[in-house]
Amino acid sequence: MPSATTRSADFEQLALPLFASLYNHAFWLTRNQAEAEDLVQETFSKALRAFDNFQPGTNFKAWIFRILRNTFLTTRTGIATSRTVEDHPYTLDTIAAGPTPEDTLIRLDNQATLHAALERLQPQLREALLLCDVEEIKYKDIAVILDVPIGTVMSRISRARRTLRQLLQSQLGESL
Amino acid sequence: MNQTTPTNHLDPDHLNAFIDGELPPVEQLGIEQHLTTCHACTLRILSATQLKAATARAGQRFAPPPDALARLTAQLHAQQATPEQRPQTNQQPQDETKKAARIYSMASFRPAAWAALAAAILLTISLLGWRQLHQSNTLAAELLDQHLFTLSNAATPQVISADRHTVKPWFQGRLPFSFNLPDATALLPDTTLKGADLTYLNGQPAALLLFTIHKHEVSVFLTQRSTSPTLVTLPSSRAGFTLHTATTPDLRIVAVSDVNPADLDNLIAALVKAQASLQISK
Repeated sequence: MPSATTRSADFEQLALPLFASLYNHAFWLTRNQAEAEDLVQETFSKALRAFDNFQPGTNFKAWIFRILRNTFLTTRTGIATSRTVEDHPYTLDTIAAGPTPEDTLIRLDNQATLHAALERLQPQLREALLLCDVEEIKYKDIAVILDVPIGTVMSRISRARRTLRQLLQSQLGESL
Repeated sequence: MNQTTPTNHLDPDHLNAFIDGELPPVEQLGIEQHLTTCHACTLRILSATQLKAATARAGQRFAPPPDALARLTAQLHAQQATPEQRPQTNQQPQDETKKAARIYSMASFRPAAWAALAAAILLTISLLGWRQLHQSNTLAAELLDQHLFTLSNAATPQVISADRHTVKPWFQGRLPFSFNLPDATALLPDTTLKGADLTYLNGQPAALLLFTIHKHEVSVFLTQRSTSPTLVTLPSSRAGFTLHTATTPDLRIVAVSDVNPADLDNLIAALVKAQASLQISK
């Protein structure tokens, strides 16, 4: 059927360039190479099946990242992660009192320290931050992906950055 | 503006929205105006921008295994082929079914193979393009970070001098390459060398030259061309700042400023011309 062929060609044209981004994000979610690859494969498969429901002109990247995330939530790791998050929603939140962390400029040229800090970040906060900073997705689209109000996106990004800064400062200690 | 007052500085939500480019133009402008008079908020913005750029670099960490793409495209094409084969197999007697399936698969082999190949090529190109774009965004962010840092009072260059005969020798032994500075007469009026610093760009040592043009600060970064494996094309502007690039046989020159682009070009041209005289004197 030519229309089906055209449709799948359209899908590939939109989806394949996002492969590396989706894989990177899937790895951050699953923390495992095989699981990340399976997750991306399943995402592509589901997205292709559901491609008729995608409205041209809307944000395809947000659409497919949402599928990735929903697929992740049905995996064992995803279920475990969402439970942890539900149980401890504010464990790493910081106290607003005292000098604001932004007052201090920190050296960020140590990639390993930054990786370690990102790894220690609460998954829920890290996810929002990565979508914003790495994928450069707009708040309104992140809200769609995470299925939360835009205000929650803003507060997660804000908390993520504050926590990240604190983690960096404690890791770098006196060398700041 | 309700997000800032002279005593109450930028709140964290507005600060984040500002660096993420999420504010409506009017609010964005309001904050920009506040920043021209508020050193504390400028530093916070600078610090937050640095963290954002560093997160973008660190977050882009896991690359797919080389054969993951082949597995994915194979799976997609198998998925696409399945619904099209079904009607034929339901209606044909067994022998004919096999034959039809064989004909179908023979006929569809080539388009499928070509589609797979095309998809692989498309992906390779887009991955390269994506990587290039990502690198260029990261480098642009890094350049802008460093430029913003020079604007803050906290940053004092290691060499404060308008004399090229002081600035140039300072780099000897500190950089693995040499460069020339234009004579003051070769610069347009109101273009002044303020000082210099040693810095790192993309992990490479770089000379940072600080100029002013009509009171606008300009950061010029000089790096060795041979140590940059790929010459990333930078965007010509980022966050309201102009980024202009030039290359000489040995150097890559990038200037960042909010001065008008034509003046920035003149400065770069003078720097390029000065390197030509270095070539001749070699």
